[in-house]
Amino acid sequence: MEKKQNFFKKYWLVMLTGLLVGAGAVVLTAFGNPKNMGFCIACFERDIAGALKLHGAGVVQYFRPEILGIVVGACIMAFIGKEFKPKAGSSPIIRFTLGAAVMVGALVFLGCPLRMVIRIGGGDLNAIIGLVGFVLGILIGVFFLKHNFSLGRAYKQSKVEGLVFPVMLIFGFVLTLIGGVTYFAFSTEGPGSMHAPILLSLGIGLIVGALAQKSRLCMVGGVRDAVMFKEFGLLAAFGCIIVAVLVGNAILGNLKWGFEDQPIAHTEWLWNLLGMTVVGWGCALLGGCPLRQLVLAGEGNTDSAVTVLGMICGAAAAHTLKTASSAAGTGDNGPIATIVCLVVILIISVTHLKKEQ
Amino acid sequence: MNEYLATFHTHLAALKTHRSLSAARITARMAPVPRKISSSCGTCVFYSADDPCYDKLDGDTEAVYALCGDCADLLREFE
Repeated sequence: MEKKQNFFKKYWLVMLTGLLVGAGAVVLTAFGNPKNMGFCIACFERDIAGALKLHGAGVVQYFRPEILGIVVGACIMAFIGKEFKPKAGSSPIIRFTLGAAVMVGALVFLGCPLRMVIRIGGGDLNAIIGLVGFVLGILIGVFFLKHNFSLGRAYKQSKVEGLVFPVMLIFGFVLTLIGGVTYFAFSTEGPGSMHAPILLSLGIGLIVGALAQKSRLCMVGGVRDAVMFKEFGLLAAFGCIIVAVLVGNAILGNLKWGFEDQPIAHTEWLWNLLGMTVVGWGCALLGGCPLRQLVLAGEGNTDSAVTVLGMICGAAAAHTLKTASSAAGTGDNGPIATIVCLVVILIISVTHLKKEQ
Repeated sequence: MNEYLATFHTHLAALKTHRSLSAARITARMAPVPRKISSSCGTCVFYSADDPCYDKLDGDTEAVYALCGDCADLLREFE
């Protein structure tokens, strides 16, 4: 009993954050975001890449305010808690590459780890297959971490260095609003055209970013900490998101169990599994899921900012090279791209094993 | 015997320090860095020893804290 009380005392904030992230996702869906996509860091960054015309997929182009909200919310909370401590220098180009690979894997599955959890909460059983692949990927990553994998340390940087990425996002967002369709792209059909009102998206993004900074919510960290340290707090938050989304969807009548005809999902189980293996493995090496990378970037970690930029470029490449899936199934080059990403991550894993001194 | 907590710039540094302390028969365990210590989600090492054992810590050590109940006093910060 005492152990149970200690658990809740220790992890109440991250569990509350999980519940609020789940609730936020349901609200965003109710107000216009695509079904089972209240939040998806991968999809939203892909939409931003589309809005900036980095790819030509007309159905996924919109500068998602949620991404801006998460980064700025984390940044504000980090300043309030005196935790805005810019640092950089931990293998930036490798992180960029891993970010791009993670994005390619996520777009084969059709979602980041957060959307995977949200899809499970909507009854999409394909996401359970994705979860198996995700856990498998993290376990492979943990194997390398236990055998001396390291991307090297980061070093302290100036405040300006840490502020560049949040400011860049604010600037880009304002620019798309001012420039409009003259210079930027906004989907008129498909998932990119479906979105909640801008201020609601921005507001919920800000809250999620602030809470995620305060609680260190991370989809990858949950499994990693459970496996490596028998610590289950972050994993409990993972469960809280599912519970909140399940309850929300049940109330709104959006809960539909099954594999077939799920919103923005396909049923090719092997690629759902391997796509998320890429994501789990890559993120374990990066030290955090796509949501966590945004939060760290907001705290001034420019290695994470570079990772996010890698993800955005990965999304552009995925749509240009037809590796991204759609509801109809994997893209023409999705399977080969998944295998290439696994090979690339394996090479990075092996070449970054440090020798004992 | 005193309780200490060391934080690191990398997971590998925590792993090496844990091995080094364990080889010297010092009771040590790895864990996620407690939230009250840092917003980083890195790995730390808790250990029990007569002194902070600076010579056993990896070169990428970030800081060492002395633990006393619920409080953690910063003993030394490394560059």
